[in-house]
Amino acid sequence: MKKSLSLLGAAAVIVAMSGTEVVAQQTLAQVKQRGALNCQVGLPTPGFYALSADGKWSGLDVDMCRAVAAAIFNDPDKVRYQSVTSAVRFTSLANGESDMLSRTTTWTAVRDTQLGLEFAGVNFYDGQGFLVPRASGITSARQLDGATVCVLTGTTTELNLADYFRANNMRLQSVTNENVNVLVETYLGGGCDAYTNDKSGLAARRSAFPNPNDHVILPETISKEPLGPVVRHGDQNWGDIVRWVLYGMIEAEELGVTSKNVDEMLKSDNPSIKRLLGVEGNIGQGMGLTNDFMVRVLKHIGNYGEAYERHVGASTPVGIPRDGSLNALWTKGGLMYAMPFR
Amino acid sequence: MPDEARLAAADQPLVFRPKPERPPPTSSIGVLGWMRANLFSSVSNALLTLLGAYIAIVFFTAIINWALVDAVWEASNRRECLDRVGRAGACWPGVIAWIPNLLYGLYPKDQVWRINIAFLILVAWALPLWLPRVRSKVGIGLSAVLLYPFLASYFFHGGAKDLLWTALIALGMAAFAGVWLTTLSERATGLPFGAAIARLTGAPEDDEAATRTRARIAYAVLYLVAVGVTTQWSLSEVSTRYWGGLFLTLVISGFGITFSLPAGVMLALGRRSQMPFISLCSTAFIELFRSVPLITILFMFNTMLPLFLPVGVEVNRLVRAIVAVCLFAAAYMAEIVRGGLQAIPRGQYEAASAVGLGFWQSTALVIMPQALKIMIPTIVGNFIGLFKDTTLVSIIGLFDLLSMARAVGEDTTWLGLFLEPFFFITMIYFVFCFLMSQYSLNLERRLGAGQRR
Amino acid sequence: MARAAATAQPAAATARLSSLVNDSFARAIFYQLLTAAILVGGIWYLISNTIANMSQRGMAAGFDFLDYTAGFNIVFTLIPYREGDSYFRVFQVGIANTLLVAVIGIVLATLIGLVMGLARLSTNWLIRTMARWYVEILRNTPLLLQIIAWYFGFFNLLPVPRQSFDWGGAFFLNNRGFYFPAPVPQDGFGWTGVALGLAIVASVAIHRWARRRLEATGQSFPSVLSGVGLIVLLPTATFLATGSPLEWDIPVLRGFNFRGGLSVPPTFCALIVALAIYTSCFIAEIVRAGIQSVSHGQTEAARALGVKPSRIMRFVILPQALRVIIPPLISQYLNLTKNSSLAIAIGFPDLVSVWMNTSLNQSGRAIPIVAMTMAFYCAVSLSVSLLMNLYNRRVQITER
Repeated sequence: MKKSLSLLGAAAVIVAMSGTEVVAQQTLAQVKQRGALNCQVGLPTPGFYALSADGKWSGLDVDMCRAVAAAIFNDPDKVRYQSVTSAVRFTSLANGESDMLSRTTTWTAVRDTQLGLEFAGVNFYDGQGFLVPRASGITSARQLDGATVCVLTGTTTELNLADYFRANNMRLQSVTNENVNVLVETYLGGGCDAYTNDKSGLAARRSAFPNPNDHVILPETISKEPLGPVVRHGDQNWGDIVRWVLYGMIEAEELGVTSKNVDEMLKSDNPSIKRLLGVEGNIGQGMGLTNDFMVRVLKHIGNYGEAYERHVGASTPVGIPRDGSLNALWTKGGLMYAMPFR
Repeated sequence: MPDEARLAAADQPLVFRPKPERPPPTSSIGVLGWMRANLFSSVSNALLTLLGAYIAIVFFTAIINWALVDAVWEASNRRECLDRVGRAGACWPGVIAWIPNLLYGLYPKDQVWRINIAFLILVAWALPLWLPRVRSKVGIGLSAVLLYPFLASYFFHGGAKDLLWTALIALGMAAFAGVWLTTLSERATGLPFGAAIARLTGAPEDDEAATRTRARIAYAVLYLVAVGVTTQWSLSEVSTRYWGGLFLTLVISGFGITFSLPAGVMLALGRRSQMPFISLCSTAFIELFRSVPLITILFMFNTMLPLFLPVGVEVNRLVRAIVAVCLFAAAYMAEIVRGGLQAIPRGQYEAASAVGLGFWQSTALVIMPQALKIMIPTIVGNFIGLFKDTTLVSIIGLFDLLSMARAVGEDTTWLGLFLEPFFFITMIYFVFCFLMSQYSLNLERRLGAGQRR
Repeated sequence: MARAAATAQPAAATARLSSLVNDSFARAIFYQLLTAAILVGGIWYLISNTIANMSQRGMAAGFDFLDYTAGFNIVFTLIPYREGDSYFRVFQVGIANTLLVAVIGIVLATLIGLVMGLARLSTNWLIRTMARWYVEILRNTPLLLQIIAWYFGFFNLLPVPRQSFDWGGAFFLNNRGFYFPAPVPQDGFGWTGVALGLAIVASVAIHRWARRRLEATGQSFPSVLSGVGLIVLLPTATFLATGSPLEWDIPVLRGFNFRGGLSVPPTFCALIVALAIYTSCFIAEIVRAGIQSVSHGQTEAARALGVKPSRIMRFVILPQALRVIIPPLISQYLNLTKNSSLAIAIGFPDLVSVWMNTSLNQSGRAIPIVAMTMAFYCAVSLSVSLLMNLYNRRVQITER
């Protein structure tokens, strides 16, 4: 006992000495001193945070991490990815282990107000849907009374499912797991009548079924799922950085600035573009970054539209068409709307 | 004629001539006899045999059909597999493509040689333990347990090293060199390396002091050379975030095994101590850690340790998992050691104090060697359990073998590939655990030789 | 003289100090105080850090969340639960489910373990070898993988509800679970319960009396047989006499699945089977070692005294083997209970899965939730240890 205690004590002292003693208020200073951004993503998931056989992370949410790293260091690779199960994601962020969380997390009131978190914006509007076998003859979610439904545990999806069945006075049997593949195997084996998840994930999963056409996605969307990056509560400046990097990417798409033409756009006369790229004004310096932080982001990552098409767009295996969806720019009937850069 | 014959026979002495031995009945020899004795000795036995054979055949044909006969071995993505055999056969190309990751995690592929070399060094370090005519086996074993981790840590992690770290790595290096020098010199001359050098440099055989001094000088020179080599030696840093797969599983269980034995001994002694407070603390620690599932301990260390430490201090996620596993394993080991200590008759303690040994001396020299010998099978059993339990670190998000197997099915190319990687890693676990348990049985048999008559 | 006294005094002081240092009692006190100081200091340090961290990061603490609405569905609950119930109810549901798994798992594991342990000592080569490989293979692969394998390799491959395995139109097995009739007691069923209680009390009394008579006079009485007879016959007679006041709610296929009756989900079946089989390997080894630990001389001595073979097992071998078997057996039972936390891998709602995973994730209260989970396991474990120690004291060989 004594020995293990003194060992623990010694370990604590060593850790305390080698650890970086920085006040947690200044996340930016901490990140700069560390030389890398600690960014939390989820267990590998196609499109949003995918892990390839050669060990590289990629995806829409991973690009959010890379964009923030690019804004700070002018190097999108200065990111330490932390892949965490959904069960510990909030505690891992709240206890200071990661600087930001970018892993398809739904913005809800309880999470925003009670868990010590702050949502920095929305980078993907999703909604929950159902996948059923075509042979079952089901055409509407209302017909699912008494059905067994496979659902990811610890997510808003699980709560929405229960709410939907309760609101419509239907009987629910849920099969829960925290591993999508387990649920998909269960569903394919007939262990549940329907599989529910955010619609973005349903199409991608279906494409990997033995016979994709034997399964249909029901028309109902039973919930709003605004997904976005999250930071720790209490460091407003850090929240601002993440938020305005995201808005900057959306704004750039609206203004037509891409990774390819950003150098030419620096000479643009358009005042909006000048402010976005830091030619005019000092928005970047106000946050502790350089004024050209969006130039860095755009050079390395590109605007929101580019990131979208690269990872989840219609031409990718995930294949979520953007036109006409909530994720289109507001000018095209969607919800992607950046607050003015001024 | 018959009479003559009888008369002739009567002349000769009467000798008993046994008839040639008849062959045993066909039903009791050969395959048939063996089957009769071992499989069909009674009606109920025969029924059991048939039932058992039926179960075994059904079970194995199903597995072999899925894993080998109907399996796909070459494809560029899962779609191809599905189009060819559907879900009736395994789709191995995905697993094959991921084998480097399953073994080494995300460790940079051009640095993987470091892991291989470090494991080879461990094998080389332990090899003298099985060689005949090597005497310092206890020292070699201890050095492998205590000093190898320093050397291995540098191989695995690399990066910048400060003074203390350099000294420790050099210690590991010098120890490795020392182990092999001693092995060679003992096989050649029967003397350990230091003494052999002393003899070579002309120290008289009966002058113990001179021999010892020269041996010390020899070791010091060896260490200085190692320090020199270490300062010139540099490997690029590979952060623990990239560690994964079988490699990570082995690192975590290796730490757990190394730490749990000494800590378990201390805890067991603490629990049996005469001092009530120390005994109480040890008991509380042991009972607490033994009564909750490892998963909750991992969870607590992962989510709550950062809250326990001062603001701004970061503790590596891997370190947290290792600390949790070590404390858990130590509590279990403590109970095993306590069981071993209880089996030592009181007379041994009394005899030890009668010859004037103090507490630590009698424990280290008299009690522990006997107790450890009794405990070996249980200890190895515990190690196997620990090795299997490391699968749980996947639940807190470390990329161990199990998490890596899961990641295969999330790769866009192999989306949904799930059972195959699981089957593969199950085989890996089985091979490791089975070898350990067989080795423990073998050890038990050899150590128990003194007890058999 | 004065000088002598002056030198003697420090010498005496040194002697007193050294006797204090060498005094084992004083040393013990010192070590213990040191440990206590380190312990208290360490705990205070951790607590103060935690408070500082939590207040700075705006994390909510405390147990107030126990009253909040949980709002998620739980696939299988032993005690009634609805989505609108509180988090505290979820905790209770988790405990009930964990205990259910533990109890059923322990019963099954003991039965299978006993059979396998005896099979390992069988004279039939095939049975002996199969039992050996059964133990080797299952003992040497992680339980987590076995649970997953049972779920996907067996229970998920069962037919869909419409093609269920049907036993007598009342028991159904399909990939949604196992469905069986639920007993619905009618008025007057209480009498049967009363009769059962009386029968148990009576048979215990008979057993005690028989034992006393055996010790006093050497005459035996078939107390076990009479006890079993009493326990079976008395309630049955009462049940029939009161007009069979029990009806069965039989599951019926309606819509997607069976309705009515009782059911357990496939995750439950997979968990139970995996736990029981995995633990049975260890129990088989314990049973084998226990029986082998009784020296052959005991059997021979009993035979020489003319004890009947059936009684040799019961009165000679078993009591001695049990002394070796029971302590590790109990620790296997505790292991099984703790291992049931692996239900998380297939999503069966045990305490860890429903409380430390889902509830923690939905409410974000890490500290109280983890503390409550650990407290539950500690309570189970410590109470079993207590009983175990009492038992050990009873069966221990008294050394003279």
